[in-house]
Amino acid sequence: MKAWKQAGLPVAMAGLMVALAACGSTNAANGGNNANKPANTEAADTAQAGGDESAAANEQANAAANPQKEPVKVVWWHSMSGELGKAVTQLVADFNASHPDIQVEEVYQGTYDDSLNKMKASLDSKSGPSLIQVYEIGSKFMVDSKAITPVQDFIDSENYDVSNLEENILGYYTFDNKLYSMPFNTSNPILYYNKDMFKAAGLDPEKPPATYEEVKNAAKALTKDGKTGASFAIYGWFMEQFFANQGAEYDNNGNGRTDTATESLVNADAGVKTLTWWKDLVDSKVALNLGRKTDDTKKAFLAGQIGMTLDSTASLRGIVDGAKGKFEVGTAFLPKPEGAGDGGVVVGGASLWIMNNKPADEQKAAWEFIKYLAQPDTQAKWHINTGYFPITKKAYDEQIVKDNMAAYPQFKTAVDQLHATKLSPATQGAVMGVFPEARQIVEGAIEEAFGGQKDPKAALDDAAKAITEKIATYNKTVQ
Amino acid sequence: MNSTEAGLAVRRTDSQTRRARRMLPSLWKETAVGYLFIAPSLLLFAAFLFYPLLKSVYLSFYLTDPRGRVAEFVGLDNFTALFRSEAFWNSLLVTLKFTALTVPTGLLASLLLAALTYGKLRGMRAFRFVFSLPVALSVSTASVIWMMLYHPTTGTLNYFLTKLGLTPVQWLTDPAWALVSISIMTVWMNSGFQYIVLLSGLQGIADDIFDSARIDGSGPFRTFFQIIVPLVSPTVFFLSVVSVMNAFQSFGQMNILTKGGPAGSTEVFVYSIYKEAFVNYQFGTGSALSLVLFAMIMLLTLLQFRFERKVHYH
Repeated sequence: MKAWKQAGLPVAMAGLMVALAACGSTNAANGGNNANKPANTEAADTAQAGGDESAAANEQANAAANPQKEPVKVVWWHSMSGELGKAVTQLVADFNASHPDIQVEEVYQGTYDDSLNKMKASLDSKSGPSLIQVYEIGSKFMVDSKAITPVQDFIDSENYDVSNLEENILGYYTFDNKLYSMPFNTSNPILYYNKDMFKAAGLDPEKPPATYEEVKNAAKALTKDGKTGASFAIYGWFMEQFFANQGAEYDNNGNGRTDTATESLVNADAGVKTLTWWKDLVDSKVALNLGRKTDDTKKAFLAGQIGMTLDSTASLRGIVDGAKGKFEVGTAFLPKPEGAGDGGVVVGGASLWIMNNKPADEQKAAWEFIKYLAQPDTQAKWHINTGYFPITKKAYDEQIVKDNMAAYPQFKTAVDQLHATKLSPATQGAVMGVFPEARQIVEGAIEEAFGGQKDPKAALDDAAKAITEKIATYNKTVQ
Repeated sequence: MNSTEAGLAVRRTDSQTRRARRMLPSLWKETAVGYLFIAPSLLLFAAFLFYPLLKSVYLSFYLTDPRGRVAEFVGLDNFTALFRSEAFWNSLLVTLKFTALTVPTGLLASLLLAALTYGKLRGMRAFRFVFSLPVALSVSTASVIWMMLYHPTTGTLNYFLTKLGLTPVQWLTDPAWALVSISIMTVWMNSGFQYIVLLSGLQGIADDIFDSARIDGSGPFRTFFQIIVPLVSPTVFFLSVVSVMNAFQSFGQMNILTKGGPAGSTEVFVYSIYKEAFVNYQFGTGSALSLVLFAMIMLLTLLQFRFERKVHYH
């Protein structure tokens, strides 16, 4: 017993100290975060002090003119963290400064999934947001929830002009010829390649591969000296994009757009062709399988360990900056099989939804904020700070966008790819309520094919069956 | 103290019925006071355990709509669909494999470390400190550390493997390795707690037992197998029960490191519950899954307690 006391005490103390130290550091981190927030807003304020002084003066004048009128408060839940979060804070500060009658409060609610789950939990109470940013694959759920006011209602009531907005982006969020939500941040996948590695392998760095065959040949040539030709993350989004790029639909009933989807088409020819090609790349060791995270393929690409990768256009800035001084980054359209039909890319990202359980003036105020975000100059700022597409074509006329295009010429590929996309149900993107889950099932199927447990066709057959079952259950609960 | 008094009171009522009538009110009072004392914990249990449990039973007979509201009564369909689905049996198998990989190895490793460091040698404190460190880490912290170690291209483990001229292992992306990798990480993570408990169990053995064993000429191996092992068996039993429950309920490391992949090779039971209830928002099937898990853990624990007879209490 004595021995236990003597020896146990220091052990326990040590444990306690470590625990305390851990607590201390979290506190410090929290404190840091809290300290950061005002600092950010402050920085944002000083950064634009020049331009907004007049706006601030306006606000004061207005406040003095009608002191009894309280500004309408709009609570906006979003999922933008880090650099993106800072950009959001700045946009909101700008808006509040120029709109004295409306006060937007932005709340970061964690990832898209977290935010959506919190919103679901808040639907029957007053604690929810007035405006929420939801990822593209949550759209069908938002429509089915009947908890939102379509933005089309506001567009119609004041004849708001949408002709300058990108059709290809609006297409995604249009159901039954109605625009349900306003796109906000939009991205596409593109092929990134290492120009220096291309030169070293005797390939033309200005002629990136465009077809599956060419990707394979390039990957073969690039694989040497411990480096590997390519690596694409096992990400369901890429499979969806490969389908659209071949003009193939992912679900029946016009991709779930003419009528509610009842069947997954992921085992169609387009899918089998893609998975067979992908598996062949991995099996012949000219592509690495680095798992599901694009973060991991990005790291390998920046470390010069792989020659080609797929990633979102939203990563472009990070990738080009990360490669600075190491190698030159090239960008290209998403590859497709030789002789595939017309297609293009589906927009990714998120859109803004107005909740219908708030008073009319609050919804109207949220709409005002949405209009502000869709303005060309706001979109231009948002675009150059984040790498997301501007949702309005007019943003490309802004000088800051032109300057940005000169600094990052690789971005032109992304814009061209979006504009080259032919709008059809295939490129509008699939609509299903169980999309987040369908994505996971497809990722599982790709892994099964890579692992050799099933051949590509069988893996996709099983995935299609599983998704179809999930859709059936979902449809049963939504009337 | 209260319980013995109550016990006495009961005995008295048995023998002396007449006086018992006078005693009854005070007995009743005793019981009431007893309930009063456990009322706060009962209340908490009711709010956070019994109510959710009953609600799960209720939900398991229904389908829920995308908002999580009850939509349609389906009777036992959720359960039959479960037992027919391949994913259910896969996750059960994965959970059993995971338990088999982590519990015995973890207990053995911790017992070995504890047996090596329980003595009063110079510098032992430093080792005890190091071996108990993992207890101070949360699952998420530990997972993030191992995520870096396991990273396919920039990870430390693969760096050393290539330095040694071996081919790098796809720790988390190869279906053959992923569960093993997660098990290694879990054994390490749980070793802190198991080590501390076993160490205190070892140090609870009276010194004179070791003294007399030494006088009788018992060597270190004999001491370990014939004295230490039987004497710490209550501690090992406790740890094995707790570790099996833990293994069946693991979730954090899979959620952070593999998301159940690749190809479902690390999709343990709790992860599939999480996926069903909070990714797909199917509370009905999710509840059915968690009730099955509840029943399984209860059965396992009962089974383990049958082994308790073999445990040596002293």
